[in-house]
Amino acid sequence: MSRVVLASTLAIALPVAAGAQTAPSDPAPSSLLPASPIARVEVTPAGGRFTAGDSGQLTVRAVDAAGRPVPGALVRYTLRGAGFEGSVDSTGKVVASSVGKLPLAVVALVPGTRPVIRQVDLEFVPAAAARVDIRTPLGTLVAGQQLRVEAAPYSRAGDRATEPVRWTSSAPNVVRVTGDNLLTAVAPGRATLTAGAGAARATVAVQVVPAGGRATLTASAATVRQGDVVRFTAAYVDRAGRAVAGVTPSFTFSPGDGRLDPDGRFVGYRPGDYQVTASYGPGAQASAVVRVAERGVRRPVEVVGRLARTQFPTSEVWIHPNGRVAYLGTHGGGDRMYALDISNPAAPRVVDSLVVNTRLVNDIITTADGNWLVLTREGAADRKNGIVIADVRDPLHPKQVADFTDGVTGGVHSVYLSETAKHGRHVFLTNDGTGAVDVVNLDDPTKPRRVGEFRTARPDAARYVHDLDIVDGLLYASYWNDGLVILDVGNGVKGGTPAKPVLVSQYKYDLDSLYREVEEVSSAGYIRGTHTAWRQRGGGKYVFIADEVFRNGNVKGAKDASASRAYGTLQVIDVSDIERPRAVAWYTPDNGGVHNVWVAGDTLYMGAYDAGFQVLDVSGELRGDLKAQGRVVAALNPADMEGFVKNAAFTWGVVVNPKDGLAYVNDFNNGLWVVRVLPRRGERVLQ
Amino acid sequence: MRAAAVALLAAAPLAAQPAPTASPTAAPGVYTAWVGSEGDDRVSVVRFDAAAGAARVERSVRVGDNPTELAGPHGLGLSPDARYVFVSTAHGAPFGGLLKLTARGDTVAGRVTLGAFPATLQVSPDGAYVWVANFNLHGDMVPSSVSVVYAPEMIEVARVRTCTMPHGSRLSADGRHHYSACMMDDLLVDIDAQRFQIARHLVLTPGAERGVAGAPAARAAAAGGHAGHDMSGHAVESAPAGAGAPATCTPTWAQPSPDGRVVWVACSKTNTIVEVDAARWAVTRRLPAGEGVYNLAVTRDGRTLVATNKRARSVSVFDVASGRETARIPTLRRVPSGVAVTPDDRYAFVTVEGVGSEPGTVEIVALATGRRVAAVDVGPQAGGIDVRLGAP
Repeated sequence: MSRVVLASTLAIALPVAAGAQTAPSDPAPSSLLPASPIARVEVTPAGGRFTAGDSGQLTVRAVDAAGRPVPGALVRYTLRGAGFEGSVDSTGKVVASSVGKLPLAVVALVPGTRPVIRQVDLEFVPAAAARVDIRTPLGTLVAGQQLRVEAAPYSRAGDRATEPVRWTSSAPNVVRVTGDNLLTAVAPGRATLTAGAGAARATVAVQVVPAGGRATLTASAATVRQGDVVRFTAAYVDRAGRAVAGVTPSFTFSPGDGRLDPDGRFVGYRPGDYQVTASYGPGAQASAVVRVAERGVRRPVEVVGRLARTQFPTSEVWIHPNGRVAYLGTHGGGDRMYALDISNPAAPRVVDSLVVNTRLVNDIITTADGNWLVLTREGAADRKNGIVIADVRDPLHPKQVADFTDGVTGGVHSVYLSETAKHGRHVFLTNDGTGAVDVVNLDDPTKPRRVGEFRTARPDAARYVHDLDIVDGLLYASYWNDGLVILDVGNGVKGGTPAKPVLVSQYKYDLDSLYREVEEVSSAGYIRGTHTAWRQRGGGKYVFIADEVFRNGNVKGAKDASASRAYGTLQVIDVSDIERPRAVAWYTPDNGGVHNVWVAGDTLYMGAYDAGFQVLDVSGELRGDLKAQGRVVAALNPADMEGFVKNAAFTWGVVVNPKDGLAYVNDFNNGLWVVRVLPRRGERVLQ
Repeated sequence: MRAAAVALLAAAPLAAQPAPTASPTAAPGVYTAWVGSEGDDRVSVVRFDAAAGAARVERSVRVGDNPTELAGPHGLGLSPDARYVFVSTAHGAPFGGLLKLTARGDTVAGRVTLGAFPATLQVSPDGAYVWVANFNLHGDMVPSSVSVVYAPEMIEVARVRTCTMPHGSRLSADGRHHYSACMMDDLLVDIDAQRFQIARHLVLTPGAERGVAGAPAARAAAAGGHAGHDMSGHAVESAPAGAGAPATCTPTWAQPSPDGRVVWVACSKTNTIVEVDAARWAVTRRLPAGEGVYNLAVTRDGRTLVATNKRARSVSVFDVASGRETARIPTLRRVPSGVAVTPDDRYAFVTVEGVGSEPGTVEIVALATGRRVAAVDVGPQAGGIDVRLGAP
C-alpha cells in the first residue's frame, strides 16, 4: 500500500463514531501471580449501606480457608467509579456525600501473591425525611367525594426520602385516607389531615361541606391546538346555589392521549375531542369538551448556503453583533477559529482565521459592542489551556490580545459574558480541572484578572460544570451530575455579585432513571449529565436544559456511524419561582441527542447530534411531551459527501442571526449550513 | 486536505525511502509501535521495516466515548506478552481512566476510571499490574497519586498518594520498585511495588539533595521554600531569564537502570539528568542534557540512555558509562515527547507532539549511528509509545 493510500485511509478512518470496539470478554489469565493464602475478604457492614450526608466505617477481615485471619495481609480500598457520590479513605472511613451507589474494590493482598478483590457497591441512601410536601391542593371537600392525594417526603439535603407516606385524619368520621392514598370525605365537618413520613409531618386543614350541590366546569378555551394548555376551572355550588370557594375537584379526561394536572391544566397530544370531568362526588360532576385541532406548525426548510470544512471537525458557531460576520471553531486537533463573511448568506466564505495554542475551540462569544471576542482552549501544546481574548473591532480579522491560563490549565469548555454598568464586564468560564465556575474581570480585555469563583458543595474532584448562560444577573449553570444550578451574579435576589456568586436554587433529577435505556443497550458507566441551559429572554419563564448522553462503548460489531449515537432529553424548567424551579415539559429526539440550543422568540432551534438540526415551537405555556403534541416545526439532516465525515450528521448547534432571520447551523462533521425555515404554503416570508 | 498533508509530511524528510515490500509476518527487522495521540483521540499502530528504512501507519483507532470531547490518550504500554495495549485517557470529566485494548484487533478488553489526568503508565514485568501516574495538571496545585490497576480484571487495587504532579514513572526490572518524578515538588518517589506504599523519597532541588525515608509531606516543595506553582508549561517553557541558576529541578521522568543500581531523573528546568544511586539513595552524577530534557528510556543492556529534549526539539543519546552525550538528533517537529527502545536495543522510537494542528510524528533513531532512519506522521500531540519486535 502506498503512503498516499495509507494517508487517505487515516483521514477517512476518522468518523466521529468510529471508536474501538468492545470485546465480549477478556481471556487474560488471572494466574500471573501465585495464589494468595487469603480465601475470602469479609466486609462489615455487609450491606454497605450508608446515609447520604453521613460518614461511617468499613471493617475488613482477610481470612484463609479455615476462617483464620491471614497475618500480614494488606487491605486497600479503591473506588471503581468516578466517586461522584462520596469517598473512602485508606482506613475504610466512608463519607457518603450524596445519594447513589459507590462501587468499591476492597483489596486484600499478601505481597507477591495474587490480590483478592471483593467488589462492594456501597449504597448511599437518603437521610430520614425532614419534611413532607403535600402536592394535592386540599382545602374544602364535598361529603361523598373521593380524591387521590399525593405527598412526597424529602430529606434535609433535599433528596427524595424513602419512607412511605401515611395519612391520618384528626376526625375520621369527617375525612379519612386509606393506605392507597384515596381520600374520602365522609361527612360535613372539619378535620386536620396529616401526611407523615418517618418523623416528618405535614398537615392541612380541610373542611367537608354537605353534598347535594352541583359542579360547574369551565375551560379557558373550547377549541385549541395540540400542545396548547387549557385551564379548566371547576367550582362547587351548594344546594342554595351559592358557590363554595376552594373546593378541590378530582379531574379525569378521555381519551387519555394528553396530560391533565391536578391544577386543572390540560394539554391534548392528538387532534380530536377530549372530555374533561371534574368531580365533587356522586351527583356533583361536570364535564366539558375541548376540541383539539392540529397544531399545524410543521414547515419546510431550505439550505441557503453552505461552507464545508474538511480539515477538522467544526464546533461552535457565533455571529458578530453586526450580523455580517460569523466565527466558527474547530475541533479534533483544530487550532483555529475561522472568521467568515456571511454578508451573502448564500455564499459564506472564510476571510481570515485566528490560530491559537489549542486543539479544540469549544466555545466563542463576543461582547455586546462587538469589539472583543473570547474563545475557549482545550488541548494546548504546552497543556496550559484557558481562554483567549481577541480584538474584533475589525470583525473579519480577529487579533489575539491576551490569554488567561491562571488556574484553568486543565481547560475551559464554555464561557459566557456579563456586562453591566454596575459591575463591569466579566467572563464566566467553566474550569475543566476543578469543576468550578471561575470569574474573570475583562474591564480591560488585555489584562484579564481572576476575581471570583463558585463550586457546588460536593467533593472537589468529582465536580463538573459544562455550560453557562446569564440573563438579568442570574447565571444558569449546567452542572452535569448536579443538574441545573442558578446563581445570583449581580441580580441581587441573593446579594450576589460577579466576584461573589451566590446560590439561588438548584434543580436535580435522576439521570440514571431518565436514561435507563442507554445503560441497557450498553452498560453502566455511560456518559450522562446536564449539558446545556438556555434561559428564555424577554420575560419568559422557562429555562431549557439538555443532557449529553453517549453509550458506554460502541455497538458490538459495528463501525463508523453505526457504532454509536447520542441520546438526550430537553427539559423545560419553569423558573417563575426562581427559588423553586420545576420541570414542566420535555422533548426527546428520535435517534439523536440534544446538544446546543438557541431560542429566538417562540422558536427553539437545536443541534441534535445524530438527529441533525431541529426546530421546535415553544410558544405559549409548555406542559408535557412536546414531541407528542406536534411542536416539531422543522428538521434537516445536514450530511453530505463533502463532509469531514461523509454523509453522517452530527449537529453541534445553531445561532439565529437577527439581521437575516436565518439559522446558522454548525455540524461537527459537515461544516456550516445556512438554513431558512420556510413559511407554510400560502404564508409570506418574514425577514 | 488532510490526506495529502499527511502524505507530504511523512515523505518530506525521507523522500528516498522505498515503500516496504517484505512480508509483514516473515520479515526480520520489523517492529510495531503503538502510539497515543492526545490531540485527536487516536491510537495508531506504526510498522517500521528496518531493512527498507520505512515506517507507516498500519491502522488507527479512536478511543473515548464522547465524540465531542477529547479523552486524551496520553500514556501507553504493552503487556509483556504483547496481547494488550494499555492506554491512559487523561482528560476525563474530571477523572481520566485506563483502557485495555487488544493489540491485534484494537477492541476494548477493559476499562477503569482513575484519578485526575492519568498520564505515564507502565505494565509490571509480570504483567499483573499497570502503574499509572495521575499527573493532575488541573486547576488546583494539590498532591496527586499513582494508581495501581490489576490488569487481568482492570480493577484499581491501590491509589498511592505521592506528591504534586507525579509524572514520568517507571518500574525497576525486578518489579519491586516504582519510581516517579514529582514535577512540582522536586522529588523522586520510590514506591514499594509489592506493598503499594511509599518507601522513600529523594529531594532533587539543586543544592538541597537528600534522601528521606517514607512518604513526603503534603507539599514538600512549599515546605522547603521552593515555589512550585509555575508548572512551566509541562516542561515546554524555560527557566525565567536573569534569575541565575534555576532553583528547581522540575523532574519529568524517572528511569531505573536495568540492573536496578541507579535511577536517572530528567531535570527539565536545569537541563540535566541526575543519576541516583538506588542503594545509597543519593545523587552520584549529573549529566548535562538537552534543553527541556523530558522523557527517558534505556537499552536492555543498560549501556545507552535516550532522552527527549522538549525545548531543544531534539533527542539525545548518552553513553551511560562515560555520561557523554554521543548524539543529538533534531526532531522534525516541535515538542518531542515519549521514547521507547526496541527490545533488541537497536532503535529508539520517539514521539513528537507537534504544535496546534500539526500532526504528531513518530521518529525512529538508530542507536548505533545516532541517526534518524524513518519517520511517520500520526495524530496530533503524539505522546505515549511502546514498541515490540515483529509485524502488527
